[in-house]
Amino acid sequence: MTIANEPALLESAPRSIERLVERWARKYGDRITGYFRRPAQPARFAEFPPGLSADLREALERRGISELYSHQREAWDHVQRGEHVVVVTPTASGKTLCYNLPVIEAVREAKAKALYLFPTKALAQDQVAELLELNSAGTLGLRAFTFDGDTPNDARQAIRIKGDIVVSNPDMLHQAILPHHTKWAQFFESLRYVVIDEVHTYRGVFGSHVANVIRRLRRVCAFYGVSPIFILCSATIGNPKEHAEALLGEAVHAITQSGAPCGERHVLLWNPPVINPDLGIRASARSQSMRLARHAIRAKMKTIVFAQSRLMVEILTKYLKDVFDHDPRKPARIRAYRGGYLPTERRETERALRGGHIDGVVSTSALELGVDIGALDVAILNGFPGSIAATWQRLGRAGRRQKPSLGVMVASSQALDQYVVRHPEFFDSAPPEQARIAPDQMLILLDHIRCAAFELPFTSGDAFGESRVDDYLEVLAESGVLHHEGERWDWIADSYPAGAVSLRSVADGNFVVVDRSDGRQTIIAEVDYSSAALTLYEGAIYMVQSSPYQVERLDWEGRKAFVTRTHADYYTDAIDYTKLKVLERFDGANAGRGTCHHGEVHVVRHVSGYKKIRFYSHENIGYGPVTLPDQELHTSALWWQLTQGTLESAFASRQEALDGFLGAAYALHTVASVRAMADGRDLQKAVGSGDAAWFATRDGNGRGQWRDAGGQPTDPEQADAFLPTLYLYDNFPGGMGLSEPLFRDAALLVREAMALVEGCDCTGGCPACIGPVSEADEISGATQRECAAAVLALLDA
Amino acid sequence: MSTVAEKLRQLRRDAGLDGVNNSPGVDGPAAKAPPSSPLFAPSMGLTLRAGLRRSCPLPSGTVGTFSRQREKEHRLHALRRLIRAREQTPLQSRRILPPPAGEEIAPGLHYVEAQFAYAASATLDVPAIDEAPIERNRLLCFDTETTGLAGGVGTRAFMIGVAAWADDVLTVRQLYLTTIAGERAMLETFANWLRPETILVSYNGKSYDAPLLKGRLRLNHVAHRLAELPHIDWLHPTRRVYKGHLPNCKLATIEREVLRIVREDDLPGSEAPAAWLAFLRGQSSTNLGRVLEHNRQDVITLMRLGDHFTQL
Repeated sequence: MTIANEPALLESAPRSIERLVERWARKYGDRITGYFRRPAQPARFAEFPPGLSADLREALERRGISELYSHQREAWDHVQRGEHVVVVTPTASGKTLCYNLPVIEAVREAKAKALYLFPTKALAQDQVAELLELNSAGTLGLRAFTFDGDTPNDARQAIRIKGDIVVSNPDMLHQAILPHHTKWAQFFESLRYVVIDEVHTYRGVFGSHVANVIRRLRRVCAFYGVSPIFILCSATIGNPKEHAEALLGEAVHAITQSGAPCGERHVLLWNPPVINPDLGIRASARSQSMRLARHAIRAKMKTIVFAQSRLMVEILTKYLKDVFDHDPRKPARIRAYRGGYLPTERRETERALRGGHIDGVVSTSALELGVDIGALDVAILNGFPGSIAATWQRLGRAGRRQKPSLGVMVASSQALDQYVVRHPEFFDSAPPEQARIAPDQMLILLDHIRCAAFELPFTSGDAFGESRVDDYLEVLAESGVLHHEGERWDWIADSYPAGAVSLRSVADGNFVVVDRSDGRQTIIAEVDYSSAALTLYEGAIYMVQSSPYQVERLDWEGRKAFVTRTHADYYTDAIDYTKLKVLERFDGANAGRGTCHHGEVHVVRHVSGYKKIRFYSHENIGYGPVTLPDQELHTSALWWQLTQGTLESAFASRQEALDGFLGAAYALHTVASVRAMADGRDLQKAVGSGDAAWFATRDGNGRGQWRDAGGQPTDPEQADAFLPTLYLYDNFPGGMGLSEPLFRDAALLVREAMALVEGCDCTGGCPACIGPVSEADEISGATQRECAAAVLALLDA
Repeated sequence: MSTVAEKLRQLRRDAGLDGVNNSPGVDGPAAKAPPSSPLFAPSMGLTLRAGLRRSCPLPSGTVGTFSRQREKEHRLHALRRLIRAREQTPLQSRRILPPPAGEEIAPGLHYVEAQFAYAASATLDVPAIDEAPIERNRLLCFDTETTGLAGGVGTRAFMIGVAAWADDVLTVRQLYLTTIAGERAMLETFANWLRPETILVSYNGKSYDAPLLKGRLRLNHVAHRLAELPHIDWLHPTRRVYKGHLPNCKLATIEREVLRIVREDDLPGSEAPAAWLAFLRGQSSTNLGRVLEHNRQDVITLMRLGDHFTQL
């Protein structure tokens, strides 16, 4: 926005980006499966609206803003008409003024209040900093505060009463503001605007929760006699208007044309070279991303590398530091950034990035959102982020305003990655995926009706979102949390329901990582409950800024891991497996010569040990045992079964049938994830018996391994009963509704999986079709790919 | 290529690109494929269980009451299953019990009054208040009994007791709810007891009873002067004087150890919520009677504490 503040453009920048692309194309042309150039866009301006006060105009002019971009003016005009709007424009297009202008004007002219919601604390803090900056540029007298879990108790009272703009997150609204709304009475009575940024992140389970929190917010607003206008912002998604309307439950005007200028954008799709054509094995995405990042940083490009996991962030950071940060006397040129680092460390990295002091940053999705990190030149994606929308969002972190930029998506060997990298047209012309939410999912709805009843009593016949609540109220009254009297339903229990409902996951308390090296006791990181079992087992190497720490003791109950600095030349990777048990079958149908079912399952995830993997060579140099409590989950699933008789007549051995099931599971999971689109990781696969008596995993060579309930490998031929079952399940307690529609389309899924397996270019199976297999398999009779195709054929109607 | 094209068609359909054909490299017919029903309709009509479709309104006249009733039963059954993991189902009874004491002064609101001889000086020298000495008849000792300690707007007071002194007589007035609908009348009555000259007296009331009452007053749209009145909270002087000398600073402890008051058959305050619920659900009114006794003793003790701290 502040064009005047933009550092002078380096004349060489456009040419150097092009030179880099040319060099890569010359040297590695066969690895580039797609290349697009998005031309630069000139700015489109609009005049300040006539209703803008002189003070605000002056404050803007002092910051070098003398007119608005067209989308900022469009937002102003619609908001003044009392419409809800959603602004869908790229990063750094000056989205914040779209909401700050109407809000600041209303705060100053009408003593109105505004609530801003950001998905993360970091974004909220950014926002307040920006507001205060604008505030000090003029003398606007704005009082803007963050209100989050870090806000001290004595400051909260003042914020409730004095804050003009309160900047918070959905979790705080859910757990701290709405359940105490009478303390916020003054604030709610004057609430004119609610700003919700990054709404594309509110999808799936999280989004379904947030939609219900918004329903509760509107219910509380109605109690205080206000009906605020909602201003939403989103990164590019396929259905911004529809998604905003699903979140709000009301009509929303979508603003999709950005008036901000942007530089030319180069995008490359990169597939690592095949190193073993027989097995379809490609060089790792990591090795390619490393090479690209090295070249870019040497060419003096500010570079960001996105990795899919926290572990991969640490590995890539270490490798880049080994190249660029070997002189400890000089300030670090490479930094890592991810969830789990302490807030102070993350703020410091953000500042260093903005100041241009860092040449390369390696991040998880944590930097995908609008955290202000200044201008970067090159974005490298180590692996497909799972959706086209997220890909564009990450690529968008490079290139601001007039500067040209370069983005590279490096495909991993996973099926989904291979699938999309070979289809550049997805990136070039298809609109990104649609964000979807299911706010009326029964479990989620029940949770929020409980919270809503706590906040204000219900009356018979009331609606909550689209649903009438009477049934829910009746059941809640039966269980004693509500009291029914006449038409009223009042909260009566001695509990705080919002405390038991987490919007993001089954949070069961974070783990802190305590460094005990040299007698210290310093907290160096936090790890969420769900990944603790996979990263903090005793013996694990836990990395922070690529420095290895070894976990010496894990206090599971106390949620603490004690670590010491170490100089290990390896990292560790957990070995985990999953057992399923069918609790109840809701529906079933024939599937070819077998059956397909849908129902409720009990999932147990167990970490049995870990592998030690040497840096650089990636050879496996040892194992260690892990003893940790199992992670359990009740969820919904769909599953396929073939009878023992059918299998015995179709396969030479049980081993082959098992291999077939594992391969078929892999292919079905791929096609089901593509169909379920966004957040495919919410869907998981497993092969086992229906009663958790045994389950199957792949061994180090990709062969199926039959394990008994205790996890010990055994011979499938020795078992009395052999009824392998292939599961796809929702990775969310109570299910999030993925498996039921998949069950309805089960026949189609089987056919798509068959097409995937049969249409692959490999010989015996590869990561793009049935999953990784090893050479050893070639010796036996049928290839694993043939086995998988046979299982799928038996299931095909 | 044909499988790839088919996958592409599917991906494009799911991405909402139906009918758009501007992507080079995709063969023409791809975009003309017959539209399939998208897997997830815009409002992913999720149900947790089959047999439990979302409550789509049934056209009246076409479906009998019988099947509508069955559909409702299905829904309730599923919800009950969902909820079972979370809550203990209490015993239900629809009996309406006679309230343990007092008279009904508004629908759902009972009032109990009792007087005790209390010879004492007309003024008090309270160190906590600047403008000492103060007139004893300005003091309003109050204590609430609530549905729990969870906090938040969902916790309510079902009983308010106050004690006020005049002419060597201590008058204890208590309000309690016999139905939830009586709450507003209770709060209005209490708000009327607060005079401009009133000085509030409590034990931990500054951080517990007063904020809770303010929230409920706000929720019921009752105007009040609770926030403007001076408020003496004996918890703070108690802590200053007795911390380390007594096992804890609970009101019951200081009452027993310092004032030497012995309560007989006292119902612990923590059991008050259950006692009221038992009454409300028609199970028993015995313990609610004991809550009244307990609350009465509490507000009397508040006045005694005034004399205790003055004499120190």
